[in-house]
Amino acid sequence: MTAGLVLIIGGLVFLSGSAVLAFCWAIRDGQFRNLSAAPLTIFDKDEPVGLPTDRFPSRK
Amino acid sequence: MKPQSLLSSINPANEPDALASYERAEIDASTRGPVLLFFGSAVFWLLVGSVLGLLAAWKMTHPGLLDSLGFLTFGRIRPAHLNAVIYGWASSAGIGTGLWLMARLCRVPLMHSKLLVSAAVFWNLGVLVGVLGILAGDSRSIEWLEFPGYATPILFVAYACIGIWAVIMFRYRKPGHVYVSQWYLLAAFLWFPWMYATANILLVWQPIQGSAQGAVNWWFAHNVLGLWFVPIGLASAYYMIPKVIGRPIHSYYLAILGFWSLAVFYSWNGMHHLIGGPIPAWMISASVVASVMMFIPVVTVAINHHMTMRGHFDALQWSPTLRFTVFGAMAYTIVSLQGISMAIPSLNTLTHFTDYTIGHAHFGLYGFFSMMMFGAMYYIVPRLVGWEWPSATMIRWHFWLVASGVLLMVGALTIGGILQGLAQYDPTVSFRSSLDYATPFRWLRGISGFLLLAGHLVFATLFVQMLLKVGRRKEGPALFAAPADHKPEAAV
Repeated sequence: MTAGLVLIIGGLVFLSGSAVLAFCWAIRDGQFRNLSAAPLTIFDKDEPVGLPTDRFPSRK
Repeated sequence: MKPQSLLSSINPANEPDALASYERAEIDASTRGPVLLFFGSAVFWLLVGSVLGLLAAWKMTHPGLLDSLGFLTFGRIRPAHLNAVIYGWASSAGIGTGLWLMARLCRVPLMHSKLLVSAAVFWNLGVLVGVLGILAGDSRSIEWLEFPGYATPILFVAYACIGIWAVIMFRYRKPGHVYVSQWYLLAAFLWFPWMYATANILLVWQPIQGSAQGAVNWWFAHNVLGLWFVPIGLASAYYMIPKVIGRPIHSYYLAILGFWSLAVFYSWNGMHHLIGGPIPAWMISASVVASVMMFIPVVTVAINHHMTMRGHFDALQWSPTLRFTVFGAMAYTIVSLQGISMAIPSLNTLTHFTDYTIGHAHFGLYGFFSMMMFGAMYYIVPRLVGWEWPSATMIRWHFWLVASGVLLMVGALTIGGILQGLAQYDPTVSFRSSLDYATPFRWLRGISGFLLLAGHLVFATLFVQMLLKVGRRKEGPALFAAPADHKPEAAV
């Protein structure tokens, strides 16, 4: 029981802890510096904002 | 366009637009082998899982159905169904989507393709051995971990390969911003092998004793949802919704708040499955608190997706990807809020031992995750095989069959579960009689299974046609272009 509890609590701390460490890295790396430009990173010159990229196949 | 330089006037492919398009096509092409392998096996296991689930559902109303052979009894069919859909369908589809998204978002061609192909082979081998093992009677009887001990190491090898690959891809990504979907994927690919190994060591290889087994079991089973399926599903939604309608997500601030609050607190949720159980009360209390805190990531995602879609709901008419993805996103909000309410002990006593829980599980794994995966596959597969989906009618049939199927199933199980729970509260009703309240709704659930299976058959047909490139090749770039009546709008 005790060993199991230690492992489970350790597991919780590991999973949450790895997220906290990653969060600290993200801040240091400047990931949160420009939040208005960030959502634009998935668009390209040839697939710009305003261009839908999916549709049902045409009947022809 | 006016040529930018001598080079671009010699070769049009050097124009910036064409270059971006060429780069993206090259990255998509690099993912073809592994992604199609995972998608193909996902579709196969989806069909296997549906048949097993349908059989299990009808055994609830006809207990003797096909019971003459041992491997067709409920005790084997039911876990075989669960594991075939969790590990065979949902995980394979999720990995395929994750690989494709990871390559696109890191903006580098997929590396170490052989590693992933061998992971896919090991994966399918593991699921096959596991499902056959369960049918042969070797189930471990631990929910979500029924695969016998000889199947799990095979699966673990595959998981570990994918986790390592994700780290390598992230390490070699193009410099710049890490999009929120990448965070979700990295988290899922990193945590899952670790969770899976821990749970297997503690429950299968060197089982710990007593009620701690329950704690490990539900810590794992709930994290499979929250730290494996949820991140992959949301990664897909955060990419597909803005990309399909061509509008950046409403609030990036909410997106990162949602991710980090999920990442830090989700793993504490699992103990709410053991409310009233024989484990230390503080563990359950902490878990209930963490479950209620999930309100934050859920609501941030809901607001974000809704506000991104606002004014663009007509897009549901012309985009198959969006239709499935938005259904999944709406289901995510509802099922998560429902899950939070179920973690509150006073409500939990009503629903705990009833079909309500089964309805909730299916709403999450099907209404949310499977619909997300269908949506992602409708977007990804044409870009991998360079072929347009052969029939819009069949896509519509697929959508309406599975959407009505899952709503019927969840609705029936939810109402039946509440009636069953109220009957269990009543001291004048025996436990045996409380089951009778659920029976008519179990009939409806059995019928919904036919709708789902029919929808899956339609989808499998479409998928095979894509692989074989059935039909006439569509001319021009219609595949990826806007509908004729759609006017591109100014930046939103």
